[in-house]
Amino acid sequence: MCLAIPMQVVEIDGFNARCEAKGVERDVSLFMMQDQGVGVGDFVMVHVGYVIQKVTPQEARSTWELIDQVLDEQDAGTVAAAELDAAS
Amino acid sequence: MADTAQSWLQRIRELPLPAQKVKIMNVCGGHERAISMAGLRKLLPENVELIPGPGCPVCICPEEDIYDAIQLGLNEDVTVVAFGDMLRVPVNVPRREVRSLEQARAAGADIRPIATPQEAAAIARQDPKREVVFFAAGFETTTAPVAALLAQGVPDNLSILLSGRRTWPAVQLLLESDDPGFDALVAPGHVSTVMGAEEWEPVATQYGLPVAVAGFHPVSLLAAMYSTLRQWLEGKPFLDNVYPEVVKPGGNPAAQRFLQHTMEVTDAKWRGIGSIPDSGYTVTAGYRDHDARLRHPAPETPERKRAGEMPQGCDCARVVLGKIYPTDCRIYGLACTPRTPVGPCMVSDEGACRIWWASGVRMSTAGEAAAKKAG
Repeated sequence: MCLAIPMQVVEIDGFNARCEAKGVERDVSLFMMQDQGVGVGDFVMVHVGYVIQKVTPQEARSTWELIDQVLDEQDAGTVAAAELDAAS
Repeated sequence: MADTAQSWLQRIRELPLPAQKVKIMNVCGGHERAISMAGLRKLLPENVELIPGPGCPVCICPEEDIYDAIQLGLNEDVTVVAFGDMLRVPVNVPRREVRSLEQARAAGADIRPIATPQEAAAIARQDPKREVVFFAAGFETTTAPVAALLAQGVPDNLSILLSGRRTWPAVQLLLESDDPGFDALVAPGHVSTVMGAEEWEPVATQYGLPVAVAGFHPVSLLAAMYSTLRQWLEGKPFLDNVYPEVVKPGGNPAAQRFLQHTMEVTDAKWRGIGSIPDSGYTVTAGYRDHDARLRHPAPETPERKRAGEMPQGCDCARVVLGKIYPTDCRIYGLACTPRTPVGPCMVSDEGACRIWWASGVRMSTAGEAAAKKAG
């Protein structure tokens, strides 16, 4: 439940940000980011509809690769660490 | 050497570890999932043991709270909304009665799964005359957005049945016990993103154990394990942060402000474990109009008390505390499977039992022993 996923900010309207990841767009809240500026194009970590932190594009990419792996392998048993390396 | 999982594994294998086991605990369902899915236990040296600890908010949510949410949905003219994970958790009532929010929904109660706190507000706004109760369980990462929702302003007809919990007091409870059961700690990445890594400093300074905050990639987890093993070998524990790209000094100050403003830290019950000092949140007096515990008080009945007891055979509490592995539970894979879960550890995606099952572990320790004996 504590897992946050990275998204990229597409549009900002007040505390509302239109964010995108993997072709899916969502409206998320910037209310918890009042002390840190968030701009269009930034990568952010989103948890239950709220941005909790900004991240680098590299971190966003590596997290998405990991999520893809987990989704692919969820029913297939274990993934060797070497395979994860191959994708990162 | 590039920072790959292989290179970190190599570094760990080259450490002069003694024959005795070194136990590293994680306190985050996301960490345990990454460890299990990557098969890290099989790849690490035999004397490094990885223990899943209290890292599943659904697993430790008191069943009385779930019972209250069920009864509200069944008996009062309200809509109950909750994070999807909570809907399938069974409470300890006779089988002929409604045992979960999902069953209450099937019985006609207006219970809806939501993915974000904002959905709770949106549902309340759709029908201002109807009471909406948001049953909000979760650790700091999830409780902070609930606090933000309250701080931003919610409709009059929305109240919160708050079951938020803090992770550090549970770890401290273990550290204060005669047998904490671990030698080093991998601290949770996204709890620390909100609360700051500093919260874990006492693990090293007060209790003398190595600690490292980790992200959710196997590379980050292995880096944290290497850090704690090295600290352990050198006898110089300190707080390391191997996830600095997300976990910033001080965490997220705005999130912490909202928590302080709308909620109060209080002693709180953990399912099967009991009350842990300063481990929970209640809605603060300034927001009492939105406190479902005041707006819809739950009568203290024998049924409610019974609902809070552990179901027979279920060892969830000991799994949560890292005292036993999921497979050591008396009913793992027997009476308790994801299809027919007995305890929340087999329901939630962050429960250690569910994660082990999903990564292919089907046989309990007792079952394996019996099979060996028979074969």
